[in-house]
Amino acid sequence: MTEKPVQEEKRVFMTGNEVCAWAAAAAQAEIMYGYPITPQNEIMHYWTRLAPKYNRDFLQTEDELSAGFTTAGGIMAGKRAFTATSGPGNILMQEPFSMAEAMRLPTVAIIQQRGGPSTATVIYSQQEVTMTSLGGNGEGLRIVYSTATHQELFDYTIKAFNTAWKYRFPTFVLADGYQAKMRESLKMYDPEAKGIKMVSTEPYVGKEGVPGVDRDPGHFRNTYNVEEELYEVLEQYIEDYDKMAPEVAEYEEIGSQDADVVVISHGVVSRAAKGAVQELQKQGYKVGYFRPITIRPLPVNEIRDIANSAKKVMVVESANGQLDRLIKEKVYGCNAEMIPFFKPGVGITTEEVESRLKELF
Amino acid sequence: MEVIIDIGDRIVEAYIGEYASGKSEVAVNRAIDLLHEGHPEISLVDLDIVEPCYTLRPIKKNLQGMGLNVLAWDTADTIGLGETGNILRAENKWALKREGDIILDIGYGVEGAKTLNLLEGAEEDDNLQLFVVLNIARPMTSSVNDIVNYVRELKKVDGLINNTHLGDDTYIDIIQDGARIVSEAAEHLGIPVVATTVVKELAQSIGPYDCCGNVVRSVTRYMPESFW
Amino acid sequence: MTVQPAMPMSWRRETKPHKFCPGCGHGLVLKVLGQAVDELNIQDKMVFGCDIGCSLLAWDFFNVDSIQTHHGRTTPVITGMKRANPNLIGVAYMGDGGGYAIGSQHLVSAATRNEKITVILVNNTQYGMTGGQMAPTTLPGQKTETSPYGRDVSKTGNPTLGPEMVNAITGEGAYVARGTVSKVNKLKEYIKKALENQINGNGFSFVEVLSACPTNWRTNAEKTWKFLEEEMAEYFKVGEFKVPGSREEEGQSNG
Repeated sequence: MTEKPVQEEKRVFMTGNEVCAWAAAAAQAEIMYGYPITPQNEIMHYWTRLAPKYNRDFLQTEDELSAGFTTAGGIMAGKRAFTATSGPGNILMQEPFSMAEAMRLPTVAIIQQRGGPSTATVIYSQQEVTMTSLGGNGEGLRIVYSTATHQELFDYTIKAFNTAWKYRFPTFVLADGYQAKMRESLKMYDPEAKGIKMVSTEPYVGKEGVPGVDRDPGHFRNTYNVEEELYEVLEQYIEDYDKMAPEVAEYEEIGSQDADVVVISHGVVSRAAKGAVQELQKQGYKVGYFRPITIRPLPVNEIRDIANSAKKVMVVESANGQLDRLIKEKVYGCNAEMIPFFKPGVGITTEEVESRLKELF
Repeated sequence: MEVIIDIGDRIVEAYIGEYASGKSEVAVNRAIDLLHEGHPEISLVDLDIVEPCYTLRPIKKNLQGMGLNVLAWDTADTIGLGETGNILRAENKWALKREGDIILDIGYGVEGAKTLNLLEGAEEDDNLQLFVVLNIARPMTSSVNDIVNYVRELKKVDGLINNTHLGDDTYIDIIQDGARIVSEAAEHLGIPVVATTVVKELAQSIGPYDCCGNVVRSVTRYMPESFW
Repeated sequence: MTVQPAMPMSWRRETKPHKFCPGCGHGLVLKVLGQAVDELNIQDKMVFGCDIGCSLLAWDFFNVDSIQTHHGRTTPVITGMKRANPNLIGVAYMGDGGGYAIGSQHLVSAATRNEKITVILVNNTQYGMTGGQMAPTTLPGQKTETSPYGRDVSKTGNPTLGPEMVNAITGEGAYVARGTVSKVNKLKEYIKKALENQINGNGFSFVEVLSACPTNWRTNAEKTWKFLEEEMAEYFKVGEFKVPGSREEEGQSNG
């Protein structure tokens, strides 16, 4: 048997993209399908360096449509398969992800957000929230983890495989160009050594026996003849999703339950929000910090509690209200005044959040 | 007609290393050290063409203000970095024809030291020394074996630099572990360890030499500022 | 008591009679494919990917594992599956629109990479499922719903010559042929060879099949056959284009 890529737990220093490649390897991912696009390239660079050493595979496809659809094919063959992309590539992958949603394929995709619309910037953004959460011509039956640190990139890339294979919904690790390229230390570990059991995979096609003789053939569909047929399928999917939601929803918070003003942010921006809130708390402000780690499904109850107990909720993001729209849908009817702080495609500093918060008191 | 400039003996150092090993940081600090030692003319050259996102560009003005010649793009001069190709700046190709000391920041990539082929006159320059920057907290260069194999793949290497650190979480023991592993690898390879580079906050505690007797170079972290 | 016609073992009886139009060529292609599957004994290993379009109606045709994909995306789905599990025999089944228009980059790239999969592309000169629009394979002058005055090659180009293109871009080990439903024995031989090529791990295998669409052509049996055997076969040369291990036969006609 090939040795494990990560054996003993150890502290390392890496860029975010490398972290994703190592995490996928540690999570026993078997094959990656990918197409070059900045800022996710080093996921492929490092996966291709690691793969042959640990008997894993890689296919560089002709575009992101193909990267997404080959990922779907790999999963149907029963392999822990994944892909990674960004911006315009994420647009193309909405097509295969919609098929994955329709056929309950546990695709795992790492999205390193970049500026948009269009080619825009390759640097940084949080403008792929709507597309990653709700893209495709469906109902957004997906799971999206938004990470803030390299440790989380490692932890949640591993977790994404388990969530995907447990619930069979397309699962995303949503980061951004900053996280992809910045360097910081983290602890790498072998999940099984930490008691994290990898959810086993299972082939959809090519199971034992002759179809029609020993077993029924696997006939996998995404097309239906009549509305009622589709409705019945979707009802079941939505029921499954709603049942799953409270089990997978995750968040991080600091003093959000008894604050007058609560900042809600996600991903790398939450580092600035957290810093600002901690500083203001020290100065005696009744301010709280809340960060959904799953931006889909959201931790709805906690968000509603805040929106009922706080006077004001400020949503901070490097987008023009993409997280805000998801939050507002959930806080409909709550008391708090919603304050926007949006900088689409641009980074947000601790100082900026701090001074904006002070204006609210 | 070819113009031959006799630039005589001088310091020409190329810093190469694995992705995120700290090449640029070590190169920038080396150039500034030379400046402080009184070298009159120092050029810092950005030859990182694989990772165009985390390079010298953003701190270029700052370094120029200190008195260095910085051969790097200005971010605003380039369009769609990483999308429209990693463009080699023409002036950088001719860097070795400049007078004074030359510090080269070479990017990573499977072809490693081959980037030097893009540099006019690199093969004939007797002064050119190639140093490999290593951080054992990076999993692909964490053991003696890894380092020996990695360095052997590069063309000609004149020395190793132990740049082991964990960013904000660096502690002295890991730097010393790095010194031991890099020194052992250097012995296998038959090349010297040029220095152990340590952030100035910790350099004092270690003193002028690390546990293996390698010179400790105190560095200031400029690169975190250079992020985009 | 009903008497059933002889069917390949790998066909799924529960889904017969099939849902293709009377006179449609798909049934013949799927019949010889079924016979080839029986003869090669690959029912347990084959995975059948169906494109969107009339090809999709074949999704429950066989007692083999089958996947509905998206329009043009069958090639990458089967490619991804085959890469993940090389023991499976992957067949991507599609029409001319799926293979030569919306999915052409996948066909070209899979062929170039010599993916060890089999692509069967049914060419009926137009988009059947969406109601008879012009396809890459529509013949010059041929009327369709989007070329109501006949295909004008000066504006829409010439019909795609698929096997010729695949032949040009595939390397050693590929199998490339064009068959027709008007010569089923030959077609079966081609499809069987294509599958064998995959079983032997040689490389990409591609069979274009000239097929009939009387519904959208608005032709009776006689005129359907005439169009297929005369006009189509005149433009699209039937034969083997590339056979591993033997001399290439350039578009040799079996006429």
